[in-house]
Formats: sequence, C-alpha cells, structure tokens
Amino acid sequence: MITKKEVERIAALARLGLSDQEKNKFTHDLSAVLDYIDKLAELNVEKTEPMSGGTSNESVLRKDDEAGDIATAEMKGNILDAAPDRSGDYFKVPSIFD
Amino acid sequence: MNLNELTIKKAHKLLVNKEITAVELAEAAFDRIKKREKDIHAFLAVTEKEARGQAEKVDEKILQGLPIPFLAGIPAAVKDNILIGGVQATAASKILDGYRAPYDATIINRLKEQGAVFVGKTNLDEFAMGSSTENSAYGATKNPINTDYVPGGSSGGSAAAVAAGECVYALGSDTGGSIRQPASFCGIVGFKPTYGAVSRHGLIAMASSLDQIGPLTQSVEDAMVVFEAIRGEDHFDSTSVNFDWRGENQNFDIEEIKIGVPREYFAQGIDPVVEQTVKKAIKKLESEGARVKEITLPHTQWALATYYIIMPAEVSANLARFDGIRYGYSEIRNPKSEIRNLLDVYLKSRQNGFGDEVRRRIMLGTYILSAGYYDAYYGRAQKVRRLIQEDFSNAFKDVDIIVTPTSPTTAFKFGEKTKDPLSMYLADIYTVSANLAGVPAVSVPAGPVRSSPPLGPSGAQSAGATSNGAGLVNDLPVGLQFIGKNFDDMRVLEIAKFWELIRDEKTH
Repeated sequence: MITKKEVERIAALARLGLSDQEKNKFTHDLSAVLDYIDKLAELNVEKTEPMSGGTSNESVLRKDDEAGDIATAEMKGNILDAAPDRSGDYFKVPSIFD
Repeated sequence: MNLNELTIKKAHKLLVNKEITAVELAEAAFDRIKKREKDIHAFLAVTEKEARGQAEKVDEKILQGLPIPFLAGIPAAVKDNILIGGVQATAASKILDGYRAPYDATIINRLKEQGAVFVGKTNLDEFAMGSSTENSAYGATKNPINTDYVPGGSSGGSAAAVAAGECVYALGSDTGGSIRQPASFCGIVGFKPTYGAVSRHGLIAMASSLDQIGPLTQSVEDAMVVFEAIRGEDHFDSTSVNFDWRGENQNFDIEEIKIGVPREYFAQGIDPVVEQTVKKAIKKLESEGARVKEITLPHTQWALATYYIIMPAEVSANLARFDGIRYGYSEIRNPKSEIRNLLDVYLKSRQNGFGDEVRRRIMLGTYILSAGYYDAYYGRAQKVRRLIQEDFSNAFKDVDIIVTPTSPTTAFKFGEKTKDPLSMYLADIYTVSANLAGVPAVSVPAGPVRSSPPLGPSGAQSAGATSNGAGLVNDLPVGLQFIGKNFDDMRVLEIAKFWELIRDEKTH
C-alpha cells in the first residue's frame, strides 16, 4: 500500500509533474505492484551476500581521452545542436530561483 | 525475392555468386516494407537513402572481386533504442521525439565494418518497458502472423520486421525477456547473450545490470552469425568481458547432452497449449538421444518480484538524464508553457515527455531507493538475486542446458493486459531469471510456424479461430527457451540449432 501523499513525495523526488487525476491513478497502480514485490519478505536472506551487478569485473578503467575518444568536433557539434536552448557552446537554462 | 525465405548465409551466397546485388536485396526489403507496414507498423523510421549507399559500397567490393564478410549487404533492422549516427533514436518515447544520434553504438560500428545495410529503426515499448509494444508513443506494432494479436515486447518491432520479411535480421535489447518473448510470439529466433558478451555502448540504458543486446533472426545459424559479429570487449562498456571465444564452436553430440527441465516452469498459470507443445519438443529431444532430467530452480517464484525491484531502481537512475535541458522534448520550446524556473522545466518536460509505464517505473524505483526503504527492497532484492544465480549454478553442476517455455502463453490480443500493469509484468515470468543470473538464453519456435502470408488483403488472415494442424490456436507460435551457463552461448545456440533441425524433419 502507498498513500497519495507518498506518491506526491516520490514524484517530487523524481522530478515528475503529475496532475491530480494521475496522482490517484498512480497511487492505485503502485500499491498493486508494491503488494506484489512484498513477496520477497517471505525469504530469509540474513546470511546471503548481495549480488550487486551483472559481472564480476572490478574497477575497470580506461584513459580519459575526451577529445579523441568521446567527442570529436563533429560529434560535439551534433550534441550541442540537440539542445533545446543554447548559448555558444553552453546549454542554456532558465533561472534556478524565481 | 522474398526475404522470408532467405537466411544470412543463403543471401551471402547469392551475393558472392553475383546472382543478386546488395542494392537489389535492399530494394526487396523496401518493397516488402511498403506493402506490409500499413498493417504491421514494425518501423519508426525507414532509412532508404542510407541503406542504398551502404549496399552500393558492398556491390562495388563484389565487382572488384574482393571477399565480403557474411553480413555485408544483408538488410538489417535496428531497435530504436540503439544509436546509429545521424539517424533518429526515439526509444519510442515522446521525450526523444526528433532526436538524432550523434554517434554509432559499438555494435553498429562493428556491423558497419562488415558492410551491413540498415533498412530502418524498429518500434518498441517506450524505453523498452513492456511486453507487447503497446506502450510505444508512436502506436503499437501488430503480429505479422495474426494482426489481431500483439507481437510481444519490448523488441516487438524487430520481431515483427523479421517475421514479415521486411529485413533478414534485426537487433534488439533484452532486459527481462524483450528479445526472447517477442521472438516467441512472432515465431522466430531471439537470442539474449551472456551479460557482458556484447557491448551496450550506444544502447539507451534501461536497467544497466540486466540490459543485453542480441539478434532476432529466421534461424539459429543466423543468430550465431550476428552474435559472432557483435560480441567482444569494448572499452566504452566497462561491463563487457574479454572472453576468448576461439574453440567455442566444438563438435556437438546430442547423446552427450544432459537437459534439465525445471519443474517450477510448468506450474500454475501456463497455457495448456504451451505446456503440451513444449513437452512434446522435450520428448523429441529425448528420443534423439539427449538425457532429460527434471530439476529444480527453487527460487523461481521470487524472480519476478526481485526483477520488479532491481529493474525500476536502475530505471529511475538511468532516466534521470531526460530532463529537457540537453536533448529531446523540452518545455523550453513550448511557447504556451508557463515556466518560472529550472525546476518547472524538469517537472513539465518529464510529465509531458514520458508515458504512463515509464513514469510508473521511475516512481517505483524512486520509492524503492528512498531513505528508509532501501534495505527492505533493494538490499533484499540483491540478496534474492544471488539466490537465483546460485539456483542456476547449482543446476549446471548436473545438467548442460535448461529447457523451458519462453512465455506462459502465446501472443495475446491488443488491450488484454494494458489496464492492469501487473498482468503485463507476468508475461515475463519465464524470461527474467536469465537476466538476473546473467546467463545466455535463446527462444526458438517449439513447433512448425506458418510463415507470414505473402500479400493477403489486410486482416484476412485473422478471420475466425483456425488451427494449423500443430494444435496451435489461430496459428500463434509457441517458443522453446534454452538456457545455458555463463559464456556457454555457443553451446546454447548449437543445441537450439539441433532442435531446429529435428523439428523441421518430415515425420512419416
């Protein structure tokens, strides 16, 4: 079970705007899913080691070669062109405070 | 030229023998796309101009007498959550409407080096979240075998494109069954490799500890060819593994193979048609000399709940990047929007850009990871995930391969599961475990599949309930799933290929 108030709190954390109608709908949907996943409480996992990822690879590093590897000039241009608003080579956003 | 009847190797031979050109192959794909798309809607974008250029290059090479790799000139479709530089990548979401990929995914790069021809980008459930392709922001894809039914998901567009002969093979992604389940519903082959076998650089991430890229094909041999081309370590994906695949194509003797049949996969909820078809297939494998044994994977009943904690937790983190600032849909560009500050851009861009299922999973994941709940949900799920992985490693001490149904049912009708999200989640109950454990798994048709009708009038094939003689209702195929141990991918495929061979042998 989850309350509408909790849904409002989660939506704010997740930066998701919701209409009032959507809040009711998601309260209902999320309650059903949470009831289902509560099934895991049936198991005793006190002595079990968590599995934290898909592989046993550890501390995989590569050289941080931004200019050569990640963004060629063309790619950089494409990335900036995709922005809804920009100023030169910067992403432009509205003011953070009112 | 009917691409339905072509495998990669057959098409390759035709190209090498100059019986057909790569441009003609591409044209055959586009002809088919033009004829079938209005009924099926497998594609979100068709890249005719680019494909022609790629095909011409291959033809030039052939004319010069140069050797060409298997995938050169073969028409392929790519799920629209995998990046092809310069081409749209929407992940079937409104929030990426109009977005063009600034670079190639590693696997696309590798395929381009082979001379691949990409005919277009295929439909999916938004951000690969769903099991029917009904969650696409751009309309659902239909099952080419019977258009009243869903093609499965989330790689439903890729599966339908292959089944309808609109390409020879397609690429998909599989987080909880998204390659295997649609392959099962559309009567084709779908392979999810071992986690770490294929680079995901350039795949729009859903749940990073589960996502894996793989092929959807007409035959198991084709799946092998594509897998061999895309696998391998990549320094852009730190989870990709440097594995030595040489020597993996060993000789194969069915009498040496021990097959495990987990009893938990034949419990309540399975459609009797699926159960009978799969059991018949297992009997046939046994009669060919395989040793078949009932096994247990005791934590199976907790797999789906574990998945629905780990996956949304990772989703909520991965989808935080869609904020209306750097790409895609943004309230900044909406002239009617009343944005007062940066927070409003986030809230409104994400409210209007994401569909219901995506928002449901983001909220679920945010809740699960929030203060006070982490241990009860995420921490516990990681431990159960370990138990599920151990179930598999214990089973593989005793058997070489595990065989199960791919899905508890055949394809379902549109709208049947959209009102109740949990009922849709249950469609993945037989496929999520392989993602949690990281092991390779393939879905192959368990019985004969009636090929998609060449050019019947729209909807004519779906009139009334018919049987194809194999006991399948409305011709809907059943998928057989083979699961192997980590990096035993080639053996999984060899056994699936053997099954394909004996399945298609004429009985007297």
